[in-house]
Amino acid sequence: MSNSNQLHKNLVQIVGEAGLLPEDQLSHYGIDDIDPQAVVLPRSTHEIQEVLSYAADSGLSVIPAGSGTKLGVGNPPDTVDLILSTSRLDQVLEYEPGDLTVTVEAGIRLAMLQSKLVEHGQYLPLDPPYADRCTIGGITATNASGPSRFRYGSARDRVLGMRVVQSSGTVIKSGGKVVKNVAGYDLNKLYLGSFGTLGVITEVSLKLQPLPEIERTILLTFADVGEAVNVASEISGSQLLPTSLNLFVNGVPLTNSPEPCLLIGLDGPPETVEWQIDAVKTIAQQNGAIGVELYEGQRQQELQGAMRAFPESGSATPTVVCRANLRMTDVGGFINTALEANKSAPWRMRATGLMGNGVVYLAFSEFPNGDVPAEHVANIVATLREAATNVGGNLIVESAPTALKHQIDVWGSVGRSFELMKSIKTKLDPIGLLNIGRFVGGI
Amino acid sequence: MKENDPLIAELANIVGSEHVITDPTSLSVYECDGATVFKALPDVVVFPTTPQEISAIVKLANKHNVPFIARGAGTGLSGGMLPINGGIIIALNRMNRILEIDIANQQAVVEPGVVNLWLTQAVQDDGYYYAPDPSSQQACSIGGNIAENSGGPHTLKYGVTSNHVLGLEVVLTDGEIVEFGGAVEETPGYDIRGVMIGSEGTFGIVTKAVVRLLRKPEGYQTLLGVFETIDDASNVVSSIIAQGIIPAALEMMDHFVIRAVEEAFHWGFPLDAGAVLIVELDGIKAGMQGQAEQITEIFNENNCRETRYAKDEEDRQQIWKSRKSAFGSFGRLAPNYITQDGVVPRTQLPKVLRRIAEISEKYNIPIANVFHAGDGNIHPIVLFDERDEDQCERVEAVNMEILRACAEAGGTITGEHGIGVEKMDYMPLIFSPEDLAVMATVKDIFNPSGLCNPGKIFPTAESYAKLGL
Repeated sequence: MSNSNQLHKNLVQIVGEAGLLPEDQLSHYGIDDIDPQAVVLPRSTHEIQEVLSYAADSGLSVIPAGSGTKLGVGNPPDTVDLILSTSRLDQVLEYEPGDLTVTVEAGIRLAMLQSKLVEHGQYLPLDPPYADRCTIGGITATNASGPSRFRYGSARDRVLGMRVVQSSGTVIKSGGKVVKNVAGYDLNKLYLGSFGTLGVITEVSLKLQPLPEIERTILLTFADVGEAVNVASEISGSQLLPTSLNLFVNGVPLTNSPEPCLLIGLDGPPETVEWQIDAVKTIAQQNGAIGVELYEGQRQQELQGAMRAFPESGSATPTVVCRANLRMTDVGGFINTALEANKSAPWRMRATGLMGNGVVYLAFSEFPNGDVPAEHVANIVATLREAATNVGGNLIVESAPTALKHQIDVWGSVGRSFELMKSIKTKLDPIGLLNIGRFVGGI
Repeated sequence: MKENDPLIAELANIVGSEHVITDPTSLSVYECDGATVFKALPDVVVFPTTPQEISAIVKLANKHNVPFIARGAGTGLSGGMLPINGGIIIALNRMNRILEIDIANQQAVVEPGVVNLWLTQAVQDDGYYYAPDPSSQQACSIGGNIAENSGGPHTLKYGVTSNHVLGLEVVLTDGEIVEFGGAVEETPGYDIRGVMIGSEGTFGIVTKAVVRLLRKPEGYQTLLGVFETIDDASNVVSSIIAQGIIPAALEMMDHFVIRAVEEAFHWGFPLDAGAVLIVELDGIKAGMQGQAEQITEIFNENNCRETRYAKDEEDRQQIWKSRKSAFGSFGRLAPNYITQDGVVPRTQLPKVLRRIAEISEKYNIPIANVFHAGDGNIHPIVLFDERDEDQCERVEAVNMEILRACAEAGGTITGEHGIGVEKMDYMPLIFSPEDLAVMATVKDIFNPSGLCNPGKIFPTAESYAKLGL
């Protein structure tokens, strides 16, 4: 019997046939051109423990995953042994609407959870891309967010507690189920955004929000980026309370306008929203907007959807996506630097800025013949990373072809805190089982 | 430690002898925080002004194998700074500068000794404020808030300290000075800033923090309702949330507290009322009146006896003063009190409050309640006289039963005060030995010698025995 057959057989004993992804689908979970030896889909904490224990005994590494939408984030792995997906652990465990909190299994899809919450006039105000696919566990492990992060924060601001299976198989709980809790260390923060390097998240408790009465989106068009940036800072410094404040350059969702646009999301009681619409229009007109368009109903849903999906959507693969974290006032300058650096490049670069959060996504696409010139792009990314770090920010390469990843550390330097981070990894995953070598500094 | 101990001279070399306290009378000021039942004398208190001085002090403490404990304003409510085995108190009161205010980026850089309210005062003319607002905000320090991950009445809408801190400069327990996070929202790698916040001074000493500033809301609507019973007021809380309104604050006081506050400050509250509820809306004025009317209606549906509206800012401040000064009035009720800090799911509030009333009756210990109803964060005030040994024993039983009730209701034993020494024994009520083992592992990473603020947070063998576990 070949090794792969033996592996298959051993895993089937733990999770059953249905708990193993058919071999012809393994490539969906490929990471940087390496297909996993197996994708395991356990249905219980017990099965997760068994899989981890089996992997540890067999010298196989394990990459925890949800449905895999962010599986590509990280430096190229040496090997991809087992991918452990929690996507079949998808139940709502506790939901008492009066508490405005919910506890779910990690594998529940965001859209599925929202559909259950909507029945009670509530929702989870996180809007990362691929709501129909991405799981709550994945959102937590990657600290994902979307445009409405401006008003409602990221996963970090929503997660109250979780249950985690450590690489030793021990199940632990961090935080709790109530909205305020300072008992013991806030270990939630360690697991949030740890990309599966510290444990397998199996349960998450979250803080919810009542559904707003109405939602509107205003699209403002400008002749140049500077004007759009000014209006954004005017709005974020005002008493308006937009849910989102996104700048789009070289590629506006849905409309594909060639001019830079600001998309401003508003929600709340009708009177509040109407007042804000008027206020935004006034600011826009005083500051040189050349187009003002109000979206509602179905068209707004489509626009919001396209906005969330950016930068991954609407472009042919391959795409290189970078995220810069900056101070708000550095966003305009950084986008201009990026435009300048890509001016004569033979590909398209789109940018979006979460203006109230200081986050910029850059998407490089439409490469000649579909080939990414790794060295050329790497040089530009390095220049932009330097531009970001020079103003106290950082730049992460979220998505890139393998050849490019071999030319550049996708995370960048984490400075003097690295030693502590390394100790955290070593002490919490002492056998070195989980998502090895792909996180910061090779953790 | 003797006064002529070489350590004292070395400390004086670092900070100057005028910034070192060793005489017993002066030291006694530092023997406790706001949880005054817990007392322990430090050997020495030092007042550094720079991270480099703190680093030198920490290295010295390591060399001499002496515990060291950071202390802010001393307003903590769980004995989090208690020098249980003596040692060096590193008092941060002189590190009280606001280093930078960056309105355009809506953030400020502060030293740990900056008093919470000062920051809001420094930016209010620009139309900004610092959101976390513990009741002690006129005295408590931002460094202390970070250590405890403090909350306050407005956390219901705005979150706790952790949601408002972007970056930290920390003197680690080996004396190294490192920054975590920064002036931007996210940095790659593990969120060490996040784990540092709420670590109760056991992971190092924060010497600088980058914090968020929020734009002051355009308007406020503050309502105060007087109710016959706690149950009526609790129903109001549930109904407001059920209607999709998230107020900025939703605070409750029971009849005990109403009385104490009334006798101390004469706000004009009816002495026979069962509960007073303060509801504050903030944000955009347009549409706010409609929500205030919805809330008034909910008040009326729940036997509200009287509703007051803050007419102007002064009125609003008066209402908040009555709430935040509640703690100052408990001295009228008994010589001593312990403030509990459990949190329960909002819908469990009526049940848990009834349980607390039973516990009070069972042990014949009066318990007053003033709390953040919107968060389910209760503050039962256990009133007693520490000179009465029998009472003290009953108080201990009362504490345990209250926290057990919170845990059993699916809640936690502290929402904003921290574990400190006060609630160490009760940690097993909510955390398994495995959960605590992970915390201990993380503590060992940051504080391997254990010299940094020893004897906090973790239960002992006796704790398990006490809980019958």
